[in-house]
Amino acid sequence: MRLSRSSSLVLSLPWLVTFILFWLFPLLYSLIMGFSDYRLLATDFNWIGWDNYRELLADDNFLSALKNTFVFVLGTIPVTTVIALALALLVSRSFRGRGLFRAGFFLPSVTSMVVIALIFTNLYQRGGYIALLARFAGLSPPEHGFLFDRATALYSIMAMDVWMSVGYYMLIFLAGLKAIPDELYEAAELNGAGWWRRFWSITLPLLRPVALFIIVINSIKSFQVFVEIFVMTKGKFDTATAVYFIYEQGLQTQFRFGYASAAAYLLFVIIAVFSILQFVLLRRRRALW
Amino acid sequence: MFRICLLALLALIVTGSSIAAKTTIEWWQFWTDQSVKPTIRAIVDDFEKANPDIKVKLTDLTWANGHEKIVIALASGAGPDVLELGSDWIAQFAATGHLRDLSEHLSLDSNQYQGHGMSTYEGRLYAKPWILGTRVMFANRDLLTRAGHDPEFAPATLDQFKEAAFKITALDKDIYGWGSNTAEKHRLYKKYLPFFWSEGAQIFTDDKRYCVLSSDKAIKALTLYKELHDSCGYVANQRGIEDAFLDGKIGFIISGDWLLKRIELEQRDINLVSTLFPGLRFPGRSFQGGEFLAVNAASDQAEAAVKLIDFITSPEAQVRFCRANRSANPSSKQAQQDDYFQSNLHLQTFIKQMSMVKHPPVDPDWVYIETAIEDAVEEALFGSGLPAEALRQARHKIAALKQK
Amino acid sequence: MVTSSRTGINLLRYVGLGLILVVMSYPLLWMFRVSIMDVAGSVAGSGWLAGGFTLGNYIDLITQAGLGRNLFNSALVGLSVTLGNIVFCFMTGYSLARFRMLSNKLLFVTVIVVLMIPAHIIIIPLYVLMMKTGLYDSYWALILPFLVNPIGIFLIKQYVETIPPSMEEAARMDGASDLRILFTIVMPLCRPALAVLAIQVFFTNWNSFLFPFILTSSDDLRTLPVALAMMQGHQAVDWPHLMAGSAIAVLPVLLVFIILQRQIVSGITAGAVKQ
Repeated sequence: MRLSRSSSLVLSLPWLVTFILFWLFPLLYSLIMGFSDYRLLATDFNWIGWDNYRELLADDNFLSALKNTFVFVLGTIPVTTVIALALALLVSRSFRGRGLFRAGFFLPSVTSMVVIALIFTNLYQRGGYIALLARFAGLSPPEHGFLFDRATALYSIMAMDVWMSVGYYMLIFLAGLKAIPDELYEAAELNGAGWWRRFWSITLPLLRPVALFIIVINSIKSFQVFVEIFVMTKGKFDTATAVYFIYEQGLQTQFRFGYASAAAYLLFVIIAVFSILQFVLLRRRRALW
Repeated sequence: MFRICLLALLALIVTGSSIAAKTTIEWWQFWTDQSVKPTIRAIVDDFEKANPDIKVKLTDLTWANGHEKIVIALASGAGPDVLELGSDWIAQFAATGHLRDLSEHLSLDSNQYQGHGMSTYEGRLYAKPWILGTRVMFANRDLLTRAGHDPEFAPATLDQFKEAAFKITALDKDIYGWGSNTAEKHRLYKKYLPFFWSEGAQIFTDDKRYCVLSSDKAIKALTLYKELHDSCGYVANQRGIEDAFLDGKIGFIISGDWLLKRIELEQRDINLVSTLFPGLRFPGRSFQGGEFLAVNAASDQAEAAVKLIDFITSPEAQVRFCRANRSANPSSKQAQQDDYFQSNLHLQTFIKQMSMVKHPPVDPDWVYIETAIEDAVEEALFGSGLPAEALRQARHKIAALKQK
Repeated sequence: MVTSSRTGINLLRYVGLGLILVVMSYPLLWMFRVSIMDVAGSVAGSGWLAGGFTLGNYIDLITQAGLGRNLFNSALVGLSVTLGNIVFCFMTGYSLARFRMLSNKLLFVTVIVVLMIPAHIIIIPLYVLMMKTGLYDSYWALILPFLVNPIGIFLIKQYVETIPPSMEEAARMDGASDLRILFTIVMPLCRPALAVLAIQVFFTNWNSFLFPFILTSSDDLRTLPVALAMMQGHQAVDWPHLMAGSAIAVLPVLLVFIILQRQIVSGITAGAVKQ
């Protein structure tokens, strides 16, 4: 069935109006200001063309923030995906108490990040539970606490992020598992395929679209990691990420809104390229989108 | 211009108006804690009673994000009539014309208040000092005694302090002489600067033209600071240091009046010594900051706003606030004479320290300068940089900024 | 033999799952534990048994700090935004699926732009906008910008495309109006996708801090996350009260999940995985 042009427009009106008013305007505003030296609070400014972008590409702080962001994204995503899948496999079959385990695994992902970050700041401190645990396992935890050491700070935040988000992706994997027809497994079992064989040749290939969906969503989210950094380290000990950099430039040290906007759009381009790559992959598999 | 055009266009698309009653003024403040908020509310209620034609809208900000909200509001030409500002924010808002010049009014009673130096930008006064903040040195008497000091001892000079800190560290494996902050933003530099100033170093020359951050005195101060950090420091965030101090693991820490509040509320049992920050000669110079009250330049209720500020900063209201918050540093000299402060030895240390303090330069770029200094300290303590080299780099950064 | 090895495997499974559960829920259990501690402020170093037990922190929050009002605000804003998304994302998603007014690519671009530009950059012009329109410091400021979101539209559009249009055509033959077809025939078919949408939107909104903090200032409009942020004082965190507040924020979510667990899982299946 084809809708008429006018009723289609009417149906889209709420979205068009709110999008144009509340999102398009701010987005264009910051895109345009990215070509100026505008500072918040200042009374005037100049148009400086691509200077902000040129400066960014030579700004050590920005480049190291980008590096940290990539470490964060590339480090957390495979781990989160694998653990989420493992958890989903563990609780997919029906057994007594399954609901409790599912709820327990899922709960961290819907708790406020600020609260989680505060709790983990406590757990990661010197003499805290995680240090005790590490000692128990025969490791020597960083003397000043996990968050106050360049070797461990970023990784500790990444570990928290994995802990927090696996439950949500587990749920999506569970959904994907549910969509796999039982007959496939039954047929494979009749042919004498063991658990590992069935997992490898049925579960995994059929979960591919779900996995890619998870990876896309999770990378978009992870590229924007901010709250954890803001609450836990304020970018110290080599933990400043791209969005933290943008926040600091725009709203903290010198209020360089133009510069921060340019950084935001540069980051946008990077994420977009990354996502389009994944998107192309997805479409080629004719899966999700 | 383009920005304004965009906004004008927007205003055309969506017509709207904000309706404000003539006699309502808005005050943005940070004290949301249940121990103080009711007192703030009560002071405002009393103000409304005394001024029936003025109504005050009280808005709370959080310490973590309040500054952003103020910046965003002022940058949009909006914001409240009265603002609570940290001392280090005044210059940036004053320099861009977002604060009302209160010189005429404030100079009338400026000798009754401390702290005007922090709100004077280019010779004009932009904010009234309210609750100031300084740091004093706290020590654990039991550890001092164990280390062989007599019961009256408190370090007068930096050398004595260092010696005592080393002695305490030598007591036991889990005992530390000095609580040393990790690289905590907006905190670490406040710990270094008392050493820096007490050695006689300065950030800028007196005429403010040159940055002299890497002078010999500054290097000496950072070297001492690093030595304490490396050899006898219990390194953690401020909170962790205080916890360990209250648990009796640390000999000396620098802290503010909130530590006294904590000891009282949590009923901690510690043999506490408070003393003025040591120097080359006694005493040294501690760090000063504080909370100020200013009027938004865009406010059309300036008269009422100033009235409110005067009311809140009055000696009576300050004492009331300090009693509720256990604050030790009212800006009003009359309030400082109140029995409350005279009755307690530790509060007296704070009152005395207040006349032995320095504050960071009132500079619109202070947050940038602060970051440069803090990065240098961080590099010296946690990186591979030597104190002299780290300070030199920070000086270059600041000098480059000033040249622009 | 068979049964005993079964039991063994079962036991092993429960032990393993139990261990994982401990790791996954430890911080939150700690949160609940601290929330009923009878101490002022500091909780450092106190073990699970130290610190006493009290429900006083919860009572303080409701009676003194007015957390009830914050809960109400969060629920009101959350439900409005969720409802808005269900209706409007559905309408737009449907019209995009059935009438390709905008190309997929354009929609995809709006999705990623909205997702990828950090809130700190958006919020400044948005603030100006709210001031100029008089929406600042009202529920509208917290609801309107989030009423329709491109990801939701995308989700619905994908889903509607899997539904054969024959039913709608038949209804039209019978003389039903567009709106009637939309809400009485298509919408019920989209229930699984709408469920996913609702859950995602509600949870995200429930924990949102920056926008409510910047775009409102009255006590009356304060949402739960903002109220929690206010519990962190100048130099100290009041742990027991903060944790009690956080527990209050988590409990409704936990309840919703336990009650709707089955529907959530099957909803996600239907919504996100179907081609």
